[in-house]
Amino acid sequence: MTARLEKYFNAKSFCVVGASTTPNKPGNVVAYNFVNYFPGKTYLVNPRGGELFDKKLYKSVLEIDDQIDAACIIVPAKYAPLTLEQCGQKGIKNVIITTGGFSEAGEEGLALQKQMLDIMDKYQINVIGPNCLGLYSPALGYDTMFLPASKLKRPKNGPVSIFTQSGAFGAAFIDQLSRLGSGKWVSKFVSYGNASDINETDALEYVGGDPDTKMVLIYLEDFKDGRRFMEKAREISLTKPIMGIKANRTETGAKAGASHTAALSSDDAIVDDLLSDAGVIRVITWDQLEDCVLVFGTQPLPLGDRVAIVTDGGGAGVMASDMVSDCNLKLAEFSVDVQTKLDEIFPSFYSTGNPIDITGSATAEDYRIALEAAYNDPNVDSVVNICVPVIPDLDINEYIAITKEIAKRKEKPFVTSLVGGEEADFATAELLKEDIPVFTSPGRAVKALGMLTDYTKYLKKRGVDPRSILAEE
Amino acid sequence: MSDINHIIQKVKIENRDALLEHEAKEVLKAIGIHIPPSILANNEQEAVDAADSFGYPVVMKLMSPDVLHKTDAKAVIIDLNSSEAVRHTFQDFMNRFQGVNVAGVLVEKMVEKGIELIIGTNTDDDFGPVILFGVGGVLVEAIKDVVFMMCPTTKEQATDAINEIKAKVILEGFRGLPAVNKDELADLIVKISSLAWEYREDILEMDINPIIANSSGLHPVDARIILK
Repeated sequence: MTARLEKYFNAKSFCVVGASTTPNKPGNVVAYNFVNYFPGKTYLVNPRGGELFDKKLYKSVLEIDDQIDAACIIVPAKYAPLTLEQCGQKGIKNVIITTGGFSEAGEEGLALQKQMLDIMDKYQINVIGPNCLGLYSPALGYDTMFLPASKLKRPKNGPVSIFTQSGAFGAAFIDQLSRLGSGKWVSKFVSYGNASDINETDALEYVGGDPDTKMVLIYLEDFKDGRRFMEKAREISLTKPIMGIKANRTETGAKAGASHTAALSSDDAIVDDLLSDAGVIRVITWDQLEDCVLVFGTQPLPLGDRVAIVTDGGGAGVMASDMVSDCNLKLAEFSVDVQTKLDEIFPSFYSTGNPIDITGSATAEDYRIALEAAYNDPNVDSVVNICVPVIPDLDINEYIAITKEIAKRKEKPFVTSLVGGEEADFATAELLKEDIPVFTSPGRAVKALGMLTDYTKYLKKRGVDPRSILAEE
Repeated sequence: MSDINHIIQKVKIENRDALLEHEAKEVLKAIGIHIPPSILANNEQEAVDAADSFGYPVVMKLMSPDVLHKTDAKAVIIDLNSSEAVRHTFQDFMNRFQGVNVAGVLVEKMVEKGIELIIGTNTDDDFGPVILFGVGGVLVEAIKDVVFMMCPTTKEQATDAINEIKAKVILEGFRGLPAVNKDELADLIVKISSLAWEYREDILEMDINPIIANSSGLHPVDARIILK
């Protein structure tokens, strides 16, 4: 069965209803996006007529002779029902309504939304929204995000598909991804707002089946189709990682009922367990979401839970080790060969166990030896590269070069954390430019590995080889 | 299954929304769950005969639609070791619960001590029938060591849930306690989840708590089923 969103993204002709001639108005921005980037045919509608971006402004969709595959309605809420009715008459089956002022805005808005539901029913129209940013796909030149590119920067094509209930969250996260590393992150973005028709589960179904989507990132506050969501997620998580935030965690739902079970049934307790059973990696904070993109979007999955840590700072190493156990990871025991080599090469005041602590005397060459030894050891599933760059003998450029070299091998997960001031910031920026995952604290780096490893554990439990799920180049 | 429909219909006709313990246990028996031997006694002699036939010790519980929180009302007396004790308890119930609607006194063979577990179901607005498994007993709501699943659940999911509770070490032979048979436990979860799923039009909530796990197996000693 074709996912309903496919018809939107496959559209060969698109109509912007409510194309505005006032710069930076939503209807102006969306018209600009389609006229300039959409490879199919674009039609613009504005009841006043005239021209925009050298294109005719039709007074109504009914004036257009061509068939329209999909449309975006950007008119004030009170005009939306009439506009939708016209789309129905025109035979447009896939509509995005970005405008707000519906079920989220009191009784009058709710009545408007009901009116629209009747029209949708009458003409069998699929609707995304209202009250949303709609759809974005850089590869398809598809962009109904009505905020101007001078304000909301667009990330380029990449492995991640995102769907979100909150438009504001979506806008912020999209903007954030545009400046993360190369900015090449997004395959499809779906902001479905009030979910009057197309909801979180339709979005999941689509991105799950989309071959260009390598990982799925979600932001939800509630479920419209919870049962089917969990069933779909359980299927899809076997082929691509799903991760994200289910906000609204405060204890609601549980009632002092007749049974213990009812009393224990807080909404979040149930959601948390069902997500975990469905293989969805749940994160709590916004930072973790960006960290997810960085590791899942660039790293192969670990084959096990054994971590090696290389550090020049004792404290950073100890804190990383603590996080290793907090994340249900293990410190790897080096193989005899690797251990012997480390013991031979390094001075006796270096600590050659795990963490390998090459101390404040470390040089970039010491990093190379330690990192390569750890990385090449078959007893190690992933490597944490920690550097406090304030030490005198460390050439930061050489350290950056060594880190890049190992990061490019992509045989196992490799995460880096630089802690300090100017030089740490410099190295972090240099590495991130090439989408090498670097984190502002050792704990965050290990936590990111923990999320990757949780997914490996889940796949193994379900009998799936983690090697079948590859990192994107 | 017709037994189950029959019990549910009877409760509905009587305008009740909760099955009495002995009714709930009949439902569990109908889906092949092993329940400790028990008899609903209508008089003192029936109670003594039941106890004699099971062997001592026994537990006696008042079955009344007016007394659903039996422990709070002291309507459960455990560890009765003689026919005199059974007679005395029966009389005591009749004295203390005059004026309430009494369906009978459940006389049940007392199960040896063990680990107390819970399996329960509820109807969630978003996900429909859900089932929980966890550490049971009277402290269940304070300890909150439970895992939820969507009904109907597979044995694989049930096994995962069993291994996910924080106190899972107590299932594996903790300080001399017998190890819990996880295979049997997973089967039990699956059976109850299927019941909640198949009867989702009728059943709102269920508590099988506690289920006592001891060296002879798993014993659901109390059960509550609430209808929609």
